[in-house]
Amino acid sequence: MKTVYPPMDSRQHQFEALVRGHSTDLYRYAYWLCGQDALAQDLVQDTFLRAWRALDKLREVSAVKAWLITILRREHARLFERKAMPSDDIDDLDLPDPQAAPERRTEESALRQAIATLEPKYREPLLLQVLGGFTCAEIAGQLGLGEAAVMTQLFRARQKLKGQLGNEEQAAEISEL
Amino acid sequence: MNCLEFRRRLGSEPASALDAFVTHRQECPHCAAAQSRADEFETRIRRAVEVPAPFNLADRILLAQTTEMRHDQRGRRRGVVVIALAAAASIVVAFIALRQPEQAMPALAGLVIEHLNEHVVSATDMESPVPKQAVMDAFAARGVSLASVPDGVNYVHKCPAGPYATVHMVMPESSGAVSVVYVADKPTMQRVDFRHDGMRGREVPLGKGSLIMFAAAAGDFDAIESGWRAALEQGVAGNDPVLPGLSGLPASREPFSGPVFRRALVAAP
Repeated sequence: MKTVYPPMDSRQHQFEALVRGHSTDLYRYAYWLCGQDALAQDLVQDTFLRAWRALDKLREVSAVKAWLITILRREHARLFERKAMPSDDIDDLDLPDPQAAPERRTEESALRQAIATLEPKYREPLLLQVLGGFTCAEIAGQLGLGEAAVMTQLFRARQKLKGQLGNEEQAAEISEL
Repeated sequence: MNCLEFRRRLGSEPASALDAFVTHRQECPHCAAAQSRADEFETRIRRAVEVPAPFNLADRILLAQTTEMRHDQRGRRRGVVVIALAAAASIVVAFIALRQPEQAMPALAGLVIEHLNEHVVSATDMESPVPKQAVMDAFAARGVSLASVPDGVNYVHKCPAGPYATVHMVMPESSGAVSVVYVADKPTMQRVDFRHDGMRGREVPLGKGSLIMFAAAAGDFDAIESGWRAALEQGVAGNDPVLPGLSGLPASREPFSGPVFRRALVAAP
Protein backbone atom coordinates (compact mmCIF):
# COMPACT_ATOMS: atom_id res chain seq x y z
CA MET A 1 0.00 0.00 0.00
CA LYS A 2 1.34 3.38 -0.95
CA THR A 3 2.08 5.68 1.98
CA VAL A 4 0.26 9.00 1.76
CA TYR A 5 2.21 11.90 3.19
CA PRO A 6 0.59 15.19 4.16
CA PRO A 7 1.35 18.07 1.79
CA MET A 8 4.65 19.73 2.53
CA ASP A 9 6.08 23.00 1.37
CA SER A 10 9.12 23.02 -0.87
CA ARG A 11 11.42 24.02 1.99
CA GLN A 12 10.36 20.98 3.95
CA HIS A 13 10.78 18.79 0.86
CA GLN A 14 14.24 20.18 0.29
CA PHE A 15 15.21 19.55 3.90
CA GLU A 16 13.87 16.00 3.89
CA ALA A 17 15.87 15.28 0.74
CA LEU A 18 18.98 16.65 2.45
CA VAL A 19 18.48 14.48 5.51
CA ARG A 20 17.74 11.31 3.56
CA GLY A 21 20.57 11.95 1.11
CA HIS A 22 23.34 12.92 3.51
CA SER A 23 22.62 11.71 7.05
CA THR A 24 24.50 8.44 6.58
CA ASP A 25 27.70 10.03 5.31
CA LEU A 26 27.48 12.76 7.93
CA TYR A 27 27.03 10.16 10.65
CA ARG A 28 30.11 8.29 9.43
CA TYR A 29 32.14 11.47 9.33
CA ALA A 30 30.92 12.45 12.81
CA TYR A 31 31.68 8.98 14.11
CA TRP A 32 35.27 9.22 12.97
CA LEU A 33 35.56 12.73 14.40
CA CYS A 34 34.34 11.86 17.89
CA GLY A 35 34.60 8.07 18.08
CA GLN A 36 31.26 7.53 19.84
CA ASP A 37 28.08 6.27 18.24
CA ALA A 38 25.63 8.19 20.43
CA LEU A 39 27.61 11.41 20.29
CA ALA A 40 27.93 11.10 16.52
CA GLN A 41 24.13 10.77 16.23
CA ASP A 42 23.75 13.81 18.45
CA LEU A 43 26.17 15.81 16.33
CA VAL A 44 24.41 14.86 13.11
CA GLN A 45 21.01 15.80 14.55
CA ASP A 46 22.31 19.15 15.79
CA THR A 47 23.92 19.73 12.40
CA PHE A 48 20.67 19.17 10.53
CA LEU A 49 18.66 21.29 12.96
CA ARG A 50 21.12 24.12 12.42
CA ALA A 51 20.94 23.51 8.67
CA TRP A 52 17.14 23.69 8.81
CA ARG A 53 17.27 27.07 10.52
CA ALA A 54 19.80 28.35 7.95
CA LEU A 55 18.36 26.63 4.89
CA ASP A 56 17.47 29.93 3.25
CA LYS A 57 21.17 30.83 3.21
CA LEU A 58 21.99 27.83 1.04
CA ARG A 59 22.54 29.35 -2.38
CA GLU A 60 24.39 26.61 -4.23
CA VAL A 61 22.65 23.25 -4.05
CA SER A 62 25.66 21.47 -5.58
CA ALA A 63 27.74 22.54 -2.57
CA VAL A 64 25.30 21.23 -0.02
CA LYS A 65 27.50 18.41 1.25
CA ALA A 66 30.41 20.77 1.87
CA TRP A 67 27.98 23.12 3.62
CA LEU A 68 26.70 20.36 5.91
CA ILE A 69 30.22 19.15 6.66
CA THR A 70 31.21 22.70 7.57
CA ILE A 71 28.27 22.95 9.98
CA LEU A 72 29.12 19.58 11.49
CA ARG A 73 32.77 20.49 11.98
CA ARG A 74 31.71 23.73 13.72
CA GLU A 75 29.24 21.85 15.93
CA HIS A 76 31.97 19.40 16.85
CA ALA A 77 34.47 22.17 17.56
CA ARG A 78 31.89 24.08 19.63
CA LEU A 79 31.10 20.99 21.65
CA PHE A 80 34.69 20.13 22.32
CA GLU A 81 35.77 23.70 23.03
CA ARG A 82 33.06 23.82 25.66
CA LYS A 83 33.80 20.43 27.11
CA ALA A 84 37.57 20.25 26.54
CA MET A 85 37.42 16.57 25.70
CA PRO A 86 39.99 14.61 23.74
CA SER A 87 38.91 14.24 20.14
CA ASP A 88 41.48 11.79 18.94
CA ASP A 89 40.80 8.77 21.14
CA ILE A 90 38.59 6.37 19.26
CA ASP A 91 38.31 3.36 21.50
CA ASP A 92 35.16 1.65 20.41
CA LEU A 93 35.72 0.34 16.94
CA ASP A 94 33.99 -2.97 17.22
CA LEU A 95 31.65 -2.43 14.29
CA PRO A 96 31.55 -5.62 12.30
CA ASP A 97 29.49 -5.70 9.15
CA PRO A 98 27.33 -8.80 9.55
CA GLN A 99 27.25 -9.20 5.76
CA ALA A 100 31.01 -9.42 5.42
CA ALA A 101 33.01 -12.63 5.36
CA PRO A 102 35.11 -13.29 8.52
CA GLU A 103 38.45 -12.65 6.79
CA ARG A 104 37.19 -9.34 5.45
CA ARG A 105 35.91 -8.37 8.89
CA THR A 106 39.37 -8.96 10.35
CA GLU A 107 40.98 -6.92 7.61
CA GLU A 108 38.48 -4.08 8.04
CA SER A 109 38.92 -4.15 11.78
CA ALA A 110 42.70 -3.80 11.40
CA LEU A 111 42.27 -0.97 8.94
CA ARG A 112 39.76 0.77 11.21
CA GLN A 113 42.21 0.57 14.08
CA ALA A 114 44.92 1.97 11.84
CA ILE A 115 42.68 4.86 10.75
CA ALA A 116 41.70 5.51 14.36
CA THR A 117 45.32 5.85 15.38
CA LEU A 118 46.12 8.34 12.64
CA GLU A 119 46.71 11.83 13.92
CA PRO A 120 43.65 14.02 13.27
CA LYS A 121 45.62 16.16 10.80
CA TYR A 122 45.99 13.06 8.60
CA ARG A 123 42.68 11.39 9.38
CA GLU A 124 40.41 14.34 8.70
CA PRO A 125 41.46 15.11 5.10
CA LEU A 126 41.38 11.40 4.36
CA LEU A 127 37.79 11.15 5.61
CA LEU A 128 36.77 14.22 3.66
CA GLN A 129 38.20 12.64 0.54
CA VAL A 130 36.90 9.10 1.02
CA LEU A 131 33.51 9.84 2.59
CA GLY A 132 32.88 13.29 1.17
CA GLY A 133 34.35 12.70 -2.27
CA PHE A 134 36.03 16.09 -2.13
CA THR A 135 39.05 17.03 -4.24
CA CYS A 136 42.28 18.22 -2.65
CA ALA A 137 41.36 21.81 -3.50
CA GLU A 138 37.94 21.45 -1.85
CA ILE A 139 39.46 19.85 1.25
CA ALA A 140 41.96 22.68 1.41
CA GLY A 141 39.03 25.10 1.41
CA GLN A 142 37.22 23.17 4.15
CA LEU A 143 40.24 22.95 6.41
CA GLY A 144 41.67 26.39 5.66
CA LEU A 145 44.92 24.94 4.38
CA GLY A 146 46.87 25.17 1.15
CA GLU A 147 46.25 22.53 -1.51
CA ALA A 148 49.87 21.39 -1.40
CA ALA A 149 49.66 20.86 2.36
CA VAL A 150 46.51 18.79 1.94
CA MET A 151 48.14 16.67 -0.76
CA THR A 152 51.08 16.02 1.56
CA GLN A 153 48.80 15.06 4.45
CA LEU A 154 46.79 12.69 2.26
CA PHE A 155 49.95 11.12 0.87
CA ARG A 156 51.35 10.60 4.37
CA ALA A 157 48.02 9.32 5.69
CA ARG A 158 48.05 6.51 3.12
CA GLN A 159 51.72 5.77 3.74
CA LYS A 160 51.07 5.48 7.46
CA LEU A 161 48.08 3.19 6.92
CA LYS A 162 50.04 0.93 4.63
CA GLY A 163 52.94 0.95 7.05
CA GLN A 164 50.69 -0.01 9.96
CA LEU A 165 49.06 -2.77 7.96
CA GLY A 166 52.43 -4.25 7.10
CA ASN A 167 52.31 -3.24 3.48
CA GLU A 168 55.83 -1.92 3.76
CA GLU A 169 56.47 -2.86 0.16
CA GLN A 170 53.72 -0.62 -1.15
CA ALA A 171 54.68 2.19 1.19
CA ALA A 172 58.29 1.92 0.08
CA GLU A 173 57.25 1.95 -3.54
CA ILE A 174 55.64 5.33 -3.06
CA SER A 175 58.30 6.83 -0.84
CA GLU A 176 61.12 5.86 -3.21
CA LEU A 177 59.70 8.10 -5.91
CA MET B 1 53.00 14.76 -16.22
CA ASN B 2 55.92 12.39 -15.59
CA CYS B 3 55.96 9.21 -13.51
CA LEU B 4 57.11 11.00 -10.35
CA GLU B 5 54.32 13.56 -10.56
CA PHE B 6 51.82 10.80 -11.34
CA ARG B 7 52.83 8.73 -8.31
CA ARG B 8 52.67 11.77 -6.04
CA ARG B 9 49.18 12.55 -7.25
CA LEU B 10 48.24 8.88 -6.98
CA GLY B 11 49.34 8.79 -3.34
CA SER B 12 47.28 11.83 -2.44
CA GLU B 13 44.32 11.73 -4.83
CA PRO B 14 43.96 8.30 -6.47
CA ALA B 15 40.63 9.20 -8.07
CA SER B 16 41.99 12.39 -9.61
CA ALA B 17 40.28 13.38 -12.85
CA LEU B 18 43.03 15.74 -13.94
CA ASP B 19 43.59 15.42 -17.69
CA ALA B 20 47.34 15.06 -17.31
CA PHE B 21 46.88 12.34 -14.71
CA VAL B 22 44.46 10.36 -16.87
CA THR B 23 46.61 10.76 -19.97
CA HIS B 24 49.76 9.58 -18.21
CA ARG B 25 47.99 6.49 -16.91
CA GLN B 26 46.92 5.59 -20.42
CA GLU B 27 50.45 5.97 -21.73
CA CYS B 28 52.51 4.34 -18.94
CA PRO B 29 51.83 0.66 -18.12
CA HIS B 30 53.88 0.77 -14.88
CA CYS B 31 51.87 3.68 -13.56
CA ALA B 32 48.64 2.03 -14.72
CA ALA B 33 49.59 -1.04 -12.67
CA ALA B 34 50.34 1.19 -9.68
CA GLN B 35 46.91 2.78 -10.13
CA SER B 36 45.28 -0.67 -10.01
CA ARG B 37 47.01 -1.45 -6.71
CA ALA B 38 46.05 1.96 -5.35
CA ASP B 39 42.41 1.44 -6.37
CA GLU B 40 42.32 -1.85 -4.50
CA PHE B 41 43.66 -0.16 -1.37
CA GLU B 42 41.12 2.67 -1.77
CA THR B 43 38.31 0.12 -1.83
CA ARG B 44 39.59 -1.29 1.44
CA ILE B 45 39.78 2.17 3.02
CA ARG B 46 36.27 2.98 1.85
CA ARG B 47 34.89 -0.25 3.32
CA ALA B 48 36.63 0.49 6.61
CA VAL B 49 35.38 4.06 7.04
CA GLU B 50 31.83 3.26 6.00
CA VAL B 51 30.75 2.26 9.48
CA PRO B 52 27.10 1.15 9.71
CA ALA B 53 24.78 4.06 10.43
CA PRO B 54 21.67 3.65 12.61
CA PHE B 55 18.90 2.49 10.30
CA ASN B 56 16.33 5.07 11.43
CA LEU B 57 18.69 8.02 11.80
CA ALA B 58 17.04 10.12 9.08
CA ASP B 59 13.56 9.55 10.55
CA ARG B 60 14.72 10.60 14.00
CA ILE B 61 16.31 13.77 12.62
CA LEU B 62 13.13 14.64 10.74
CA LEU B 63 11.06 14.00 13.86
CA ALA B 64 13.31 16.33 15.86
CA GLN B 65 13.06 18.98 13.15
CA THR B 66 9.27 18.86 12.92
CA THR B 67 9.05 18.96 16.72
CA GLU B 68 11.26 22.04 16.79
CA MET B 69 9.25 23.62 13.99
CA ARG B 70 5.99 23.11 15.88
CA HIS B 71 7.61 24.50 19.02
CA ASP B 72 8.69 27.63 17.10
CA GLN B 73 5.20 28.07 15.66
CA ARG B 74 3.70 27.81 19.11
CA GLY B 75 6.20 30.40 20.31
CA ARG B 76 5.12 32.85 17.59
CA ARG B 77 1.50 32.48 18.57
CA ARG B 78 2.30 33.16 22.21
CA GLY B 79 0.42 36.19 23.46
CA VAL B 80 -2.43 35.68 21.02
CA VAL B 81 -3.86 32.60 22.63
CA VAL B 82 -5.54 33.12 25.97
CA ILE B 83 -4.17 31.37 29.01
CA ALA B 84 -7.11 29.01 29.30
CA LEU B 85 -6.69 27.79 25.74
CA ALA B 86 -2.95 27.39 26.25
CA ALA B 87 -3.58 25.32 29.34
CA ALA B 88 -6.08 23.18 27.46
CA ALA B 89 -3.62 22.72 24.61
CA SER B 90 -0.91 21.71 27.07
CA ILE B 91 -3.18 19.07 28.49
CA VAL B 92 -3.88 17.71 25.01
CA VAL B 93 -0.17 17.75 24.11
CA ALA B 94 0.69 16.06 27.39
CA PHE B 95 -2.01 13.47 26.78
CA ILE B 96 -0.71 12.78 23.28
CA ALA B 97 2.85 12.58 24.59
CA LEU B 98 1.80 10.14 27.26
CA ARG B 99 -0.01 8.00 24.70
CA GLN B 100 2.88 7.91 22.26
CA PRO B 101 4.24 4.43 21.59
CA GLU B 102 7.77 3.61 22.66
CA GLN B 103 10.42 4.88 20.29
CA ALA B 104 14.02 4.11 19.50
CA MET B 105 16.49 5.10 22.18
CA PRO B 106 17.35 8.79 21.78
CA ALA B 107 21.00 9.71 21.26
CA LEU B 108 21.34 11.52 24.59
CA ALA B 109 19.94 8.53 26.47
CA GLY B 110 22.45 6.40 24.57
CA LEU B 111 25.31 8.47 25.98
CA VAL B 112 23.90 8.17 29.47
CA ILE B 113 23.51 4.40 29.16
CA GLU B 114 27.08 4.10 27.91
CA HIS B 115 28.07 5.87 31.12
CA LEU B 116 25.86 3.62 33.27
CA ASN B 117 27.49 0.56 31.71
CA GLU B 118 30.89 1.86 32.74
CA HIS B 119 29.94 3.28 36.13
CA VAL B 120 28.99 0.33 38.29
CA VAL B 121 27.25 1.32 41.52
CA SER B 122 27.62 -1.38 44.13
CA ALA B 123 24.85 -2.32 46.53
CA THR B 124 26.93 -1.11 49.48
CA ASP B 125 27.09 2.35 47.93
CA MET B 126 23.32 2.69 47.96
CA GLU B 127 22.20 0.96 51.13
CA SER B 128 20.51 4.02 52.60
CA PRO B 129 19.24 7.41 51.42
CA VAL B 130 21.90 10.05 50.97
CA PRO B 131 21.37 13.41 52.74
CA LYS B 132 19.20 15.73 50.69
CA GLN B 133 21.82 18.42 51.05
CA ALA B 134 24.29 16.16 49.18
CA VAL B 135 21.81 15.93 46.29
CA MET B 136 21.32 19.70 46.30
CA ASP B 137 25.08 20.22 46.35
CA ALA B 138 25.57 17.89 43.38
CA PHE B 139 22.97 19.82 41.37
CA ALA B 140 24.41 23.15 42.52
CA ALA B 141 27.79 22.04 41.20
CA ARG B 142 26.08 21.61 37.83
CA GLY B 143 24.61 25.11 38.10
CA VAL B 144 21.09 23.92 38.98
CA SER B 145 19.09 25.13 41.99
CA LEU B 146 16.58 22.62 43.29
CA ALA B 147 13.33 23.73 44.91
CA SER B 148 13.17 20.40 46.70
CA VAL B 149 14.69 16.94 46.73
CA PRO B 150 12.47 13.91 46.14
CA ASP B 151 12.68 11.15 48.72
CA GLY B 152 14.60 7.99 48.12
CA VAL B 153 17.85 9.04 46.46
CA ASN B 154 20.25 6.38 47.73
CA TYR B 155 23.21 7.31 45.56
CA VAL B 156 24.37 10.57 44.02
CA HIS B 157 27.47 11.41 42.03
CA LYS B 158 28.55 14.08 39.56
CA CYS B 159 29.42 12.22 36.38
CA PRO B 160 30.14 12.95 32.73
CA ALA B 161 28.07 11.33 29.98
CA GLY B 162 29.92 11.86 26.76
CA PRO B 163 30.65 15.58 26.73
CA TYR B 164 27.79 16.49 29.05
CA ALA B 165 27.75 17.21 32.78
CA THR B 166 25.28 15.09 34.71
CA VAL B 167 24.10 14.19 38.18
CA HIS B 168 23.88 10.41 38.41
CA MET B 169 21.52 9.02 41.04
CA VAL B 170 20.03 5.68 41.99
CA MET B 171 16.55 5.46 43.48
CA PRO B 172 15.65 1.99 44.75
CA GLU B 173 11.92 1.61 44.24
CA SER B 174 9.29 -1.03 44.84
CA SER B 175 9.80 -2.50 41.35
CA GLY B 176 13.61 -2.40 41.47
CA ALA B 177 16.43 0.13 41.34
CA VAL B 178 16.01 3.04 38.92
CA SER B 179 19.03 4.86 37.53
CA VAL B 180 18.13 8.53 37.34
CA VAL B 181 20.48 10.84 35.50
CA TYR B 182 19.97 14.57 35.09
CA VAL B 183 21.88 16.04 32.14
CA ALA B 184 22.15 19.64 33.23
CA ASP B 185 23.27 21.33 30.05
CA LYS B 186 21.50 19.41 27.29
CA PRO B 187 17.77 19.93 26.93
CA THR B 188 16.09 17.20 24.97
CA MET B 189 13.38 17.84 22.39
CA GLN B 190 10.56 15.70 23.71
CA ARG B 191 9.49 13.09 26.24
CA VAL B 192 10.35 9.61 24.95
CA ASP B 193 9.88 6.12 26.36
CA PHE B 194 12.24 3.52 24.96
CA ARG B 195 13.60 0.01 25.41
CA HIS B 196 17.24 -1.02 25.34
CA ASP B 197 18.75 -4.45 26.02
CA GLY B 198 15.54 -5.63 27.65
CA MET B 199 15.51 -2.59 29.94
CA ARG B 200 13.05 0.30 29.99
CA GLY B 201 14.00 3.93 29.72
CA ARG B 202 12.50 7.38 29.61
CA GLU B 203 13.99 10.70 28.53
CA VAL B 204 12.16 13.83 29.67
CA PRO B 205 12.90 17.53 29.08
CA LEU B 206 13.02 19.08 32.55
CA GLY B 207 14.16 22.55 33.56
CA LYS B 208 17.07 23.53 31.34
CA GLY B 209 18.22 19.94 30.92
CA SER B 210 17.00 16.39 30.53
CA LEU B 211 16.07 13.69 33.02
CA ILE B 212 16.81 10.13 31.97
CA MET B 213 15.49 7.11 33.85
CA PHE B 214 16.62 3.57 33.18
CA ALA B 215 15.43 0.43 34.95
CA ALA B 216 14.23 -3.12 34.53
CA ALA B 217 10.63 -1.92 34.82
CA ALA B 218 8.97 1.41 34.08
CA GLY B 219 6.37 1.22 36.87
CA ASP B 220 7.95 3.95 38.99
CA PHE B 221 8.91 6.33 36.18
CA ASP B 222 5.77 8.50 36.47
CA ALA B 223 6.20 9.08 40.19
CA ILE B 224 9.92 9.77 39.86
CA GLU B 225 9.33 12.14 36.94
CA SER B 226 6.67 13.99 38.89
CA GLY B 227 9.00 14.38 41.88
CA TRP B 228 11.85 15.72 39.80
CA ARG B 229 9.52 17.98 37.83
CA ALA B 230 8.52 19.59 41.13
CA ALA B 231 12.14 19.85 42.18
CA LEU B 232 13.41 21.32 38.94
CA GLU B 233 10.58 23.42 37.55
CA GLN B 234 8.94 25.04 40.58
CA GLY B 235 11.75 27.44 41.40
CA VAL B 236 13.24 27.86 44.88
CA ALA B 237 10.45 27.09 47.30
CA GLY B 238 10.77 28.83 50.64
CA ASN B 239 12.55 27.45 53.66
CA ASP B 240 11.83 23.78 53.37
CA PRO B 241 13.82 22.29 50.54
CA VAL B 242 12.55 18.79 51.19
CA LEU B 243 9.40 17.35 49.64
CA PRO B 244 7.23 15.52 52.13
CA GLY B 245 7.12 12.47 49.86
CA LEU B 246 6.16 11.57 46.34
CA SER B 247 2.69 10.50 45.49
CA GLY B 248 2.54 6.74 45.26
CA LEU B 249 5.95 6.22 46.81
CA PRO B 250 6.68 5.12 50.35
CA ALA B 251 7.85 7.99 52.56
CA SER B 252 10.52 5.84 54.16
CA ARG B 253 12.42 3.04 52.52
CA GLU B 254 14.11 -0.10 53.61
CA PRO B 255 17.86 -0.20 53.01
CA PHE B 256 18.51 -1.64 49.56
CA SER B 257 19.90 -5.11 49.84
CA GLY B 258 20.20 -6.21 46.22
CA PRO B 259 23.32 -7.40 44.44
CA VAL B 260 25.69 -5.11 42.55
CA PHE B 261 23.49 -2.72 40.59
CA ARG B 262 24.47 -3.53 37.02
CA ARG B 263 24.26 -7.23 37.69
CA ALA B 264 20.79 -6.74 39.10
CA LEU B 265 19.78 -4.82 35.99
CA VAL B 266 21.22 -7.36 33.60
CA ALA B 267 19.62 -10.26 35.42
CA ALA B 268 16.21 -8.64 35.55
CA PRO B 269 13.57 -9.83 33.07
